[in-house]
This record gives sequence, structure tokens and C-alpha cells, in this order.
Amino acid sequence: MKNVIEVEELTKIYHDNLVAVDDISFSVGEGEIFGFLGPNGAGKSTTIKCVIGLLRPTQGRIRVHGVDAIHHPGTVKRYIGYAAQETAIDDRLTGWENLYLQGRFFHLSREEVLTRGREILELFGLWERRGDLTETYSGGMLKRLDIAIALIHRPRILFLDEPTLGLDVQTRAVIWDYIQKLRTEHEMTIFLTTHYMEEADALCDRVAIIDHGKIAALDRPGALKAQIGGDVITVRFLDSGPATLSLVETIRSLPEIVEVSQGEDGITRIVVRQHGDRVIPELFSLAIHHGVRIDSLRLKRPSLDDVYLHFTGRDIREEGGSREELHRARRAQRRLRR
Amino acid sequence: MTLLADVWYVAWRELIKFFRARVRLIMTVIQPVIWLGLMGNMMQGLTQNPMAAQMFGTENYLAFMTPGIILMTVLFGGVFAGMSIVWDRRIGYLEKLMAAPISRAAIPFGKMLAAAIQSGIQVLIIVLIASALGVRFAAGLGGVVVILAVAMCFSLILSGLSLTLAATIKVQETLMAIVNFLTMPLMFTSNALFPKEAMPGWLAAIASVNPVSHAVAPLRELTISGWNWAGMAPSLGVVVGLAIVFLAVAQFAFRRATAE
Repeated sequence: MKNVIEVEELTKIYHDNLVAVDDISFSVGEGEIFGFLGPNGAGKSTTIKCVIGLLRPTQGRIRVHGVDAIHHPGTVKRYIGYAAQETAIDDRLTGWENLYLQGRFFHLSREEVLTRGREILELFGLWERRGDLTETYSGGMLKRLDIAIALIHRPRILFLDEPTLGLDVQTRAVIWDYIQKLRTEHEMTIFLTTHYMEEADALCDRVAIIDHGKIAALDRPGALKAQIGGDVITVRFLDSGPATLSLVETIRSLPEIVEVSQGEDGITRIVVRQHGDRVIPELFSLAIHHGVRIDSLRLKRPSLDDVYLHFTGRDIREEGGSREELHRARRAQRRLRR
Repeated sequence: MTLLADVWYVAWRELIKFFRARVRLIMTVIQPVIWLGLMGNMMQGLTQNPMAAQMFGTENYLAFMTPGIILMTVLFGGVFAGMSIVWDRRIGYLEKLMAAPISRAAIPFGKMLAAAIQSGIQVLIIVLIASALGVRFAAGLGGVVVILAVAMCFSLILSGLSLTLAATIKVQETLMAIVNFLTMPLMFTSNALFPKEAMPGWLAAIASVNPVSHAVAPLRELTISGWNWAGMAPSLGVVVGLAIVFLAVAQFAFRRATAE
């Protein structure tokens, strides 16, 4: 697979000596959906802005489609579509005017804007409302329009900074569909940041977890989940006594089992290295063999949430983090809004 | 050429919004009517006094006042050009513009062009209203064209100043306060509404360096006396020169503010 984004040793230090991105390297393959996960102020948006030419990196090299993004930002911008965290739609203009302007800013001809614009607005279900002022649009419509606008010049790579933030479940599902359609039908590379782990898990081929301006982990979601530990099977046996004890001993001796522990409440917790679902049939046959009846059984696989928490440590940064980290996150947030 | 296209589309966006804001459009018509109709009539008594008439250079106070009203309208319109950049920054539109492959200078230039066109339209309305109220422009139709051109150059100066301030001041309210702080003194230390001859010496001294006075001079000449290139040339030079300076300054300030 050809790499369309190559970032090497990227560092971004702002004027106030805030180190937003600290010596990170990664690459994104053509046609890949690549997810960037991390707490607020971790450096996600800063990295994107360096790649798309909005910010000048302090150090490092960035190549987009083989072009040096730092020295030829103008060329790189034509390959890139960008929908920012906050939808940047002019609400005093109609949906069509917003789209038309963007097309002209990318130096498309009037005819190109007309044909592509219609195509895109129809795809995003906004064609009927194109003539309405966008101040009458719902939040979901604005987000769809924002993504549609980012596509008018047929970019090779689409950057979506928190594409589903604050949207309802239905709208999020619709946007996921669009993202997948863009990849399969237009072979577009998609680089997204998100706070929703299930979204990253469902959409992304690979994810990078970024924290304190560094990449803490980077792999396929499945591999990351396997990396932080196995599946957990919790079983409640109906019987107790020697038969059950002997069954537990047998389970403990199975090769895939990492750990078996019995709680006071009569629940047995079995940690499996991986593929816990394949261990379950074996458990059943062993239980029958030992004459032990099973009341209930549950399999829990680590989610990307667990992976994320494993690498970033704290659930809510503001509560768990130090004072300095809190300031850092706030400053980074403010910078985004400025 | 792409720079010109980029500039035009930045301006186009502002102009659509300008024409869409109906109340604002109506106000731009009503305001000069009130100033000319009420103020002008009230002051008419003044120019009936021969001494005063000599100071004003005309017996028709309206004719004296029209150039002043033109510049006042341009002044109050132009200084708000910077607000749109502050707003664009706030809603993230500025970032979107900069993620597009347009020339960075196109953003301030486009905003300034939009301000100049808006001013041109407002000036045209004032000229029509003044004519209806009996003002005869001495230099004729050609004179009105030059009046428009000077007013638009003056608008470039004001919008350039406003954009330069907006590049560093990122809070709308602060920008408003500073702009208001600047416009009133600019207006009243000029000879836009009162002749320099009627001012105390210190004020007349300020008035003669005030750029507003320089913009008023050719307008008044064209309105009251007619074509007088020799008399108008120095002031025309100041206005055009300042317009060019502020194009450069605004562009530089904007580039600096967005470089990171």
C-alpha cells in the first residue's frame, strides 16, 4: 500500500512554549481510514493543522502524496479536504452559496461547481434545501453540509476533526455511512479524530492514541485490544463442592487460560489470552463431563475504551490530571477557538 | 489573475450579505435623508447670513454639507470592515479560507473591496437624495464619478485601518470600542461639517492634517465650484496615497497575525 501521508519527527511548539506535538512519526496508507484518538489538548488538531498547512511545524517533515507539505502548502491544499471540529458555515448564506464559494476558492470553473455541487448535495441529502439560509439548518444538516463542502474539489484525502461531535445517534450513523461510501466508492483516504471509541472501532482500519503530544499506541483496533489483555469469561455454576473444584482446576490447566479466580459471590472469573468465544464450547463440555450445571455465562471482550484508558490513564482529563495539564488543555482549546 | 478572482469571491460573500440585510440597507438610505433633510434645513438659516455664506463658500448649506455626509457615511461604514474578520475567526470561516489554496492577501483585499463597493452604493444614494433636495453638483456627472472614486478610496483607508486593528484585536467588543473611539474625533476635527474658517486656530490646525479633510476638499470643490484640478491635486494625492498605504499595511498585519 502506498503511503499518502508521511509524518516524521513532527514537533510543534507554540509561541507561549506550549509543546502541543512532541516528535511524532506516523504514516497513512492510500484508501485507509485512520483514526486519531486522544484527550482534549493531546495534540490531535495541532497535528492535523500542520499536515494541511494551517500551522507551521517547529520541526519535522511532512509529505502528502509525495509532496513536501511544509514548503509547498499550496499544492498540498488541493489534495486535501478539511472539515474542522466546529462547523465553519456562514449562516447568512444559503447552503448553495457556501458550497459555491468553496468551489471558487479552490479555483474550480463555474460549470464544475454546478455539476459537482449538485452531485454532492444530493449524496448528502441537502439538494432540496440548497436555497435556504443555513441559519435554518439543524446541527446535523450543518455538519453534513460542512463535509460536503470539504469534498467539492474532489480531494484525495479527507480530514475530519470530530465529525460526529454533538450529533444524535441517527445523524452519526448517517455520517458513518457517508465516510464508508467515500472510501469504497471514491477510494478516498480518510483521517479522522474522534472521542467516540465505538466510532473509531467500527470505522477505522488503524488508530493512533495520542496523549501529551506523543503517540502512545498505533495499530489496528483489534490488535490494540488484544495487546492490553484478554477476554474475560464470567461463569456462575449452580453446584458447588468437589466436582466444581475439580472442574475449576481443569479449566486452569487449559493452555489459553491466563487466570482463574473465584469470587465470594460464587462467580468464577476466567481470563483468556484471546478468542474467549472459542473457549466457551470447551467450558460447556468440561462442565458436562464433571457433572456441573452452569447457571449463566458471560463473555466480555476489551473495548477500545479499555485500550484508550490503558494508554491515556485517566477517564476525564480535567479531574484526573494535574493543574498544569488542565491549563494545557484549556490553552489548547482556546487556541482552537481563537 | 487568480489573486483577483480570490479577492472578488471574498468580496462577493460580503456583498451578498450586505444586500440581504434589508434593515441595514434601508438604514443607509434613511440616515442621509435625516441628516440632509433635517440638519440641512435647520442650518439653512446660517448660510442666509452673508458673512457665514462666505465662510461656507456657498449660500446653500446643503451643498456644503453633502460632501461631509458622504464622508461620514463612508467613515462609519468602512471602520466596521474589521468586524467581519473577527467574526470569521470566531466561526472558523477564516480557518476554512486559509485551508483553501487562495492567496492570503486576498482575504483583507476582498474585505476592503467589499467595503469600498458598499460605500460606493451608499454614496450614490446620498448623491441622488441631495439632488432631489436641490443640490446641483457643479462639476456635473463627471464630477459625481470622481466623488464616487474619492469616497471609495477613502473607504479603503478606513477599512484598511479597521482590518489592521482587527488583525491584532480578536475580541469584537474591544474592536468596537476602539473604532468608536477613533471615528468621532476623526469626524469632528475635520472640516466635513464646519468650515475651517469658523474653527479656533488649534482645531483648524488639526483639521488641515486630518485625512477626512483631505477627502472632503476635492468633494466640496466638485460640488460647489466645479473642476479645479490644481486645487484638488494635493488632497487627491493624500487620499490615493493613504489608500495604497493602508492596502499594504492591512495585508501585512493580516499576514503577521495568521502566521504560526
